[in-house]
Amino acid sequence: MSPSRQRDIKSTARILQVVILLVWLVMFGRLIQLQIIDYEKYAPMSRENFVRQDFVNPARGLILDRNGVNIVENEPIYSITINPVSFKMANVPLLASLLHTTEEDVLQRIREAQQYSWFRTSRLYTEVSFDVFSNIQENIWQLPGIGHQIESKRHYPLPLTASHTLGYLREASREEYLSSDRIRLGDKIGKSGVEMVYEEYLRGELGAEYNRVNAYGQRLGHYNNKEFNVPPVKGLDIITTLDADLQILSEKLMEGKKGGIVAMDPNTGEILSMVSAPQYDLSRLAGRLDSEYWRSINMNEETPLFNRAISSRQPPGSTFKPFMGLIGLHLGLITKDTKIYNSGAYFRGRAYRDLADPGEYDLKEAIGKSSNTYFFWMMDQIASQRYFNQWSKLAKDFGLGRRNYIDLPFETAGIMPDSTYMNTNFGERRWGTGDLMSLGVGQGMVSVSPLQMAVATSVIANGGYRVQPHIVRGIIEKDGTISYTDPNRERLDWIRNDHLELVQEGMRGVVTSGSGRWYSDLGEIAVAGKTGTSQNPHGQNHGWYIAYAPYDDPQIAVAVLVENAGFGSISATPIASLVIELYLKGEIERQHVYDYVLNFRPREDPPEEIETGESDVDEVLPETEGLP
Amino acid sequence: MNAFKELDWPLVFIWAALSAFGLVAIYSATQGPVSEFLPIYIQENFSRQVTWVAISIVVIAAVQFTSPRTFQGASYLLYAFATLLMIITVFFGVEVSGSQSWLRLGPLNFQTAELMKLATILAAANYLTSRRDISAENLKTAFVTLLFFAVPVALLILQNEAGVAIIFIALLPFMLFWSGLPHGISLLMISPALIAYFTVINWQFGMAAAVIFAIAIFFIQRRHWITASSVLVGLLTVIGTEVALHQVLQPHQTARIEAFVNPSVDPQGTGWNILQATTAIGSGGLTGKGFMEGTQTQLRFLPEQWTDFIFCVVGEEFGFMGAGAIMILFLLLFLRLINMASNHKHPFAQLVMVSVAAVFFIHFSINIASATAIMPVIGLPLPFISYGGSAFLTNSILLAICLNFDFYKRSFSIYS
Repeated sequence: MSPSRQRDIKSTARILQVVILLVWLVMFGRLIQLQIIDYEKYAPMSRENFVRQDFVNPARGLILDRNGVNIVENEPIYSITINPVSFKMANVPLLASLLHTTEEDVLQRIREAQQYSWFRTSRLYTEVSFDVFSNIQENIWQLPGIGHQIESKRHYPLPLTASHTLGYLREASREEYLSSDRIRLGDKIGKSGVEMVYEEYLRGELGAEYNRVNAYGQRLGHYNNKEFNVPPVKGLDIITTLDADLQILSEKLMEGKKGGIVAMDPNTGEILSMVSAPQYDLSRLAGRLDSEYWRSINMNEETPLFNRAISSRQPPGSTFKPFMGLIGLHLGLITKDTKIYNSGAYFRGRAYRDLADPGEYDLKEAIGKSSNTYFFWMMDQIASQRYFNQWSKLAKDFGLGRRNYIDLPFETAGIMPDSTYMNTNFGERRWGTGDLMSLGVGQGMVSVSPLQMAVATSVIANGGYRVQPHIVRGIIEKDGTISYTDPNRERLDWIRNDHLELVQEGMRGVVTSGSGRWYSDLGEIAVAGKTGTSQNPHGQNHGWYIAYAPYDDPQIAVAVLVENAGFGSISATPIASLVIELYLKGEIERQHVYDYVLNFRPREDPPEEIETGESDVDEVLPETEGLP
Repeated sequence: MNAFKELDWPLVFIWAALSAFGLVAIYSATQGPVSEFLPIYIQENFSRQVTWVAISIVVIAAVQFTSPRTFQGASYLLYAFATLLMIITVFFGVEVSGSQSWLRLGPLNFQTAELMKLATILAAANYLTSRRDISAENLKTAFVTLLFFAVPVALLILQNEAGVAIIFIALLPFMLFWSGLPHGISLLMISPALIAYFTVINWQFGMAAAVIFAIAIFFIQRRHWITASSVLVGLLTVIGTEVALHQVLQPHQTARIEAFVNPSVDPQGTGWNILQATTAIGSGGLTGKGFMEGTQTQLRFLPEQWTDFIFCVVGEEFGFMGAGAIMILFLLLFLRLINMASNHKHPFAQLVMVSVAAVFFIHFSINIASATAIMPVIGLPLPFISYGGSAFLTNSILLAICLNFDFYKRSFSIYS
């Protein structure tokens, strides 16, 4: 090898070394840039990378009855989760056998989870039974990628439905979670009843946990010894005014029927029991959405989702008569001694029938025996003496035809017509006295809900006070103290005590000698009531009954509406009287009445009398024989 | 005892230091506090690598007792044998993550491309040193040498191992350059890679690079046909790269390249690896987070962290101190091997030494440039550091052969 060649080798080696050094310097410079110059940028990036904020849902507040018995609780539900990247497909048969399902089903769900994300954990099976859950836990060591999640759902420990009062939870809509800081995607919130109205109290406060995670999102432990964790705050427990035993009975009595019951403490407005029948099963709306069941109640012809207790609008029928009496006394149209003769019908342009025995009736008798003539005459006076609008205003004072602002959603105002209403519906000057006559006996356009009738009945029972109906008695604060709701009640000044006594005596007469005597008389406990039948142009009439007891010191006021059940005296009356009996005596002694209600079936054909239009039909003997 | 001193101990030290770094990094990546989430076969990587290091020590020692002439004599035979194994692999190989490049030998899986690397270096060096020097007028030798490389490249593409093929393609200019290929033509050979690199970032940059290369080649070589071809090559590279980017490449390949240009476009997808890798290295800072303390590593934010992204493990846990040390060790390795070559008298030994340095350098550059987001991710291991038995053994043998040539440089006469 020549010396020149040797020099050539040396210079070639130098060139190579310089090229390598240059490339090396580029990369070394990059290393300095990343680790020294940009350290401040990358350090926080890596920190955020491995810390994940996990939200911890608070336990929802419980719902209690007035005596502290749990009506709504929380129940853990177990979900099986999968992390597709760690799962071995060879385990599909084992998983299927543990879950008591087919391999195809498991495979399909795994594919869905894979489509969502290979690295993130998703639910494979929600709400598995505890047996399945423990089976999986025993075999978890041979099922990499499979995990579990414990969530909670509403649980109803008592044989008590109260579906419309308690309400159900559903996933928050997009608008709802976007408009609130406290609701996240997938959160369930109250959509009806107490769950909806008291959502803010029941919900509690979201907690946060900071966990270390790997790139697959697997949780590896707490970050910084839980220092930054915020524990969730349990929702507040709510004490309702409901009496669980009374509610259970009320529901039992309404089984297979349509209508509503509202029982309240006439002195305070606390709802003791409230039923809208038919009901729906809240437990089937808890947890995993049973869409088939949801569809079935949503599409049902009998509209079970409709809260008949506070939202239905039906003419009150003869149960309106005591209030007519008070209005008439106040307007000076009648006095204690005013007597009206019933000849079998009242004539005003045409004959308005009256099924009460012919003869003279004063107010007490007219209420007790439910004579229509007395009230047709009174309505005639109201219309002709231009008292119509005042009549409407006074009737609304009882809580009829107006909202009473109960703490439940979807309350109706009902209808208590006045001249404005008549003008809108008939046209100005296109209505006359004839169109108003039937209002006097609670028929026609006047329409009310069971809740309104219960409020109105309370006015008579408690000596002239209109109470604020409410379903929540108090909220148990975080420190354990109870803040009670403080609803106001208003004395209706225009009601005179002597007038009230007159009407009360009339209602007492209904139970002792009138249409309520067969089913409503509780012997030593004096009950006052009024039956009613609301005319239904679309089918069977609806039965009404309002009552309160004990007569001298009222503790309970009840309004019952049974749709398409015919006369109130045989449909609604026994139901209300059983509710009163249980509440005041603590037990049902009249087993035959109880059995009668459970087996009650409305008659198919409406009785002949009803064809005649504005007639009251309370005075009909029940078919059942052998009553005391 | 005298013979013992003849061995190039600094090179042995570099080998040992890099291997030790590798074992520490592999241990951290596979035995860390949360390694339970890793599949068992990956958790066993560390113990397997220890075994391979032990085997390699024995093999390195054994190579020192071999006559240097053996490597030259057996080079063509070895090349034929390696080619045969490669062909067998194409048909009967074991498929690992999409590439059919492994051959099962009893309990062991062997990557036949590693043996091919050794065989190609020896065979091409033998061929080149047995011919007259290459000049601008006589490029026949250069074209024949091309065939030694074309065979493994074609087979590797059949095995779906385009990344490894890049090693062979990049090695060729180094060997030809050392063998006397004129500087201008050498520059012409490497120009497409750099022009393409800049075109990926921005086609105007690519055009600028093509112009600069053409001017440089004109001043170095002063031959019109070379300058003309450099202009042509430059243009074709820019156009070809653009066409490849938008027409030829598979969507996942295009995505990988686009993610390199702008990782934040798709931080959860293709850009993920790039962001996580740079975050790991960057957050290591000067001194690192500490052994087994790297959150990016331990929490598996880095993909393939025991192989292709192992540099990030070192960078995160040992910081600039650790990563810089590895880079300096590699620089010393390259420079020393080339010095060793320039001090050797036998052309075959020279060329083999330079080729070995070049192979290590190509691996090193691509691996580190990928990990630090200088270029799109090409999955190649870092020699002596990354997990991988056949690669570690082959790299050790390559180094051992250089040590052997150096050890016998007085007796390895040019007059055979």
